[in-house]
Amino acid sequence: MQAFDALLTGFGSALQPLTLMWGFAGCLIGTLVGVLPGISPALTIALLLPLTYQVPATSMFVMFAGIYYGAAYGGSTTSILLNTPGESGSVVTALEGNKMARRGRAGQALATAAIGSFVAGTIGTLALTFFAPWVVEAALAFGPAEYFSLMVLSLVAVSAVLGSSVLRGLLSLTAGLLCGLVGIDLQTGQPRFTFGRAELLDGLEVTVVAVGLFAVGEALYLAWQGRESRSGEVMKLTGSLRLSRQDWARSWKPWIRGSLFGFPIGALPAGGAELPTMLSYYTEKKLSKHPEEFGHGAIEGVAGPEAANNAAAAGVLMPLLTLGIPTSATAAIMLSAFEGYGIQTGPQLFSQQGALVWTLIASLYIGNVILLVLNLPLVNLWVRLLKIPPPWLYAGIIVISTAGVYGAGNSVFNVGLLFFFGLIGFLMRRFDFPAAPLIVGMILAPMAEQSMRQALTISQGDWFTFFTRPLSGSLMAVAIVLLMLPPLVRRLRRPGARS
Amino acid sequence: MTPLRLAVLLLAIAAAAIWQVTVIPESLMQMTVGPVLAPAVVVVGLAVLALLYGVSAWRGRQVDVSHAPDQTPLPGSGRRLASLLGGGAVFMALVGPLGFVLPAALCGMGVARAFDAPLGWRSALVCGAIAAVFWLVFAQLLGIGLGPALRWPF
Repeated sequence: MQAFDALLTGFGSALQPLTLMWGFAGCLIGTLVGVLPGISPALTIALLLPLTYQVPATSMFVMFAGIYYGAAYGGSTTSILLNTPGESGSVVTALEGNKMARRGRAGQALATAAIGSFVAGTIGTLALTFFAPWVVEAALAFGPAEYFSLMVLSLVAVSAVLGSSVLRGLLSLTAGLLCGLVGIDLQTGQPRFTFGRAELLDGLEVTVVAVGLFAVGEALYLAWQGRESRSGEVMKLTGSLRLSRQDWARSWKPWIRGSLFGFPIGALPAGGAELPTMLSYYTEKKLSKHPEEFGHGAIEGVAGPEAANNAAAAGVLMPLLTLGIPTSATAAIMLSAFEGYGIQTGPQLFSQQGALVWTLIASLYIGNVILLVLNLPLVNLWVRLLKIPPPWLYAGIIVISTAGVYGAGNSVFNVGLLFFFGLIGFLMRRFDFPAAPLIVGMILAPMAEQSMRQALTISQGDWFTFFTRPLSGSLMAVAIVLLMLPPLVRRLRRPGARS
Repeated sequence: MTPLRLAVLLLAIAAAAIWQVTVIPESLMQMTVGPVLAPAVVVVGLAVLALLYGVSAWRGRQVDVSHAPDQTPLPGSGRRLASLLGGGAVFMALVGPLGFVLPAALCGMGVARAFDAPLGWRSALVCGAIAAVFWLVFAQLLGIGLGPALRWPF
């Protein structure tokens, strides 16, 4: 009941015209970002970080949430009409959605994706509203040792579980941790990894690293390949945007099931959107009365995964808002925005910044409605955006990236770092290193070091404190299992292992 | 570049990081954990993982995505990379003396060239418009300090 009252207050604040305007702008930008391949919500939020000096925190986070949800909505348009997922969570949508478009049912595919996203986004936000206070209550029992173990768990999960190789995931993570430790040590004032450069004393800017990896790295890789200039075929918008009675009957259960997959998996460290969308797709294929349509444009194969994708987006906000733990690159950059405002994340966020958090959650409900209204009527505009020739699209992305980084401090050195991290992003893309562990590691490194120091000070230097405290020990045990399990499973699966 | 060469590069980065750990000044404050421990652990981790990656690459177990059938680069990949990076270098060199718009337009032209757009008036006009619009939105509308749109060096 307390959560409900707080939510109503949040609605009061989120419905203020100015806040509503920021939310609308976020939804519009987010949909744009989701539609256009090559731009991710993480990159967009990173580029907008310099705005934190000018805009009040509530307005900024309402906009960020709009971008985050909007990108999850917009990704489906590219998947369905271009067969090129704008976001990783929309990969599965492309399987059936594009086939539906080829059969003249693009309108119905877009409609089931948009309405499913709305249903899932609302279910996810409801779950966030009512479960978050419970998690906060449990997290209040956390001391520095538990926090350190939780961070280790989420770092291990992001690196070892996602991606195709534990080794490459861990290498990306250690590189991120190293980046996070650059600059003056806050406790002792000693410079670390600065190579004698004064520009590095304040540490590496998250914007520079994230934009370098995601925007410049991606552009370098695509330019190097030379295939992007030969644009893909954009399908015509065929079929009605209204669902028939049969389409509704075949869609509503996948929407609900997709939401139930998406939210809890999204809330887990390393859950992400890929796993629930995949699970939803295979579940729908199994449960469908028309399994023969799968692979040829089954509406359930669009409805379920799209719902799972959007519910996962709400799920990712759960550990971020309640524990201060980012489980995706976008969440990590949002966390750094909280830091930019001097707001301490974690369970204290709900008590110290209750107004902000509940306005943010209320704006998610409002954002869902805005996105439903935006997505379907404006679909022709989104289709036109898909026809922007790649040279101008990427010229725009790199110029806006350079402007964003240069504008943050008028530093040419940072622009140099942007292209340096772009080269690193290019190599990571080419040699299949995941980028998310680097970003999450970079942002969590100083926080993890701080918690470790506090825990060791309390325990008078006893390292076993991380293993002997019940909660901390359990988290460490899960982290160790997550680290060991994937290689073990792979070894057991190898042919000849059983013999 | 091959995975093995990448492993050598990673080991070189790890070596530079180890050197940087050795030059961190010890803190004069009395504390349980000083400023060196966390960086040292991370750097040792990086070195060990880079070594494991090298061994794995040497055994041919590491991937190069560009070897996949639909991912191989088309001829001229080096030129395209140089165009894009050159655009960035031009921006860095000229943004001080010329202001934002002209260097950003040239940077955009380098990027467009990397995606096979011919260098010409059309490219200059489109990239100039992109740079001018971003300057207006960022500097004028959002108040982000991009400096003047144009600065005349004479």
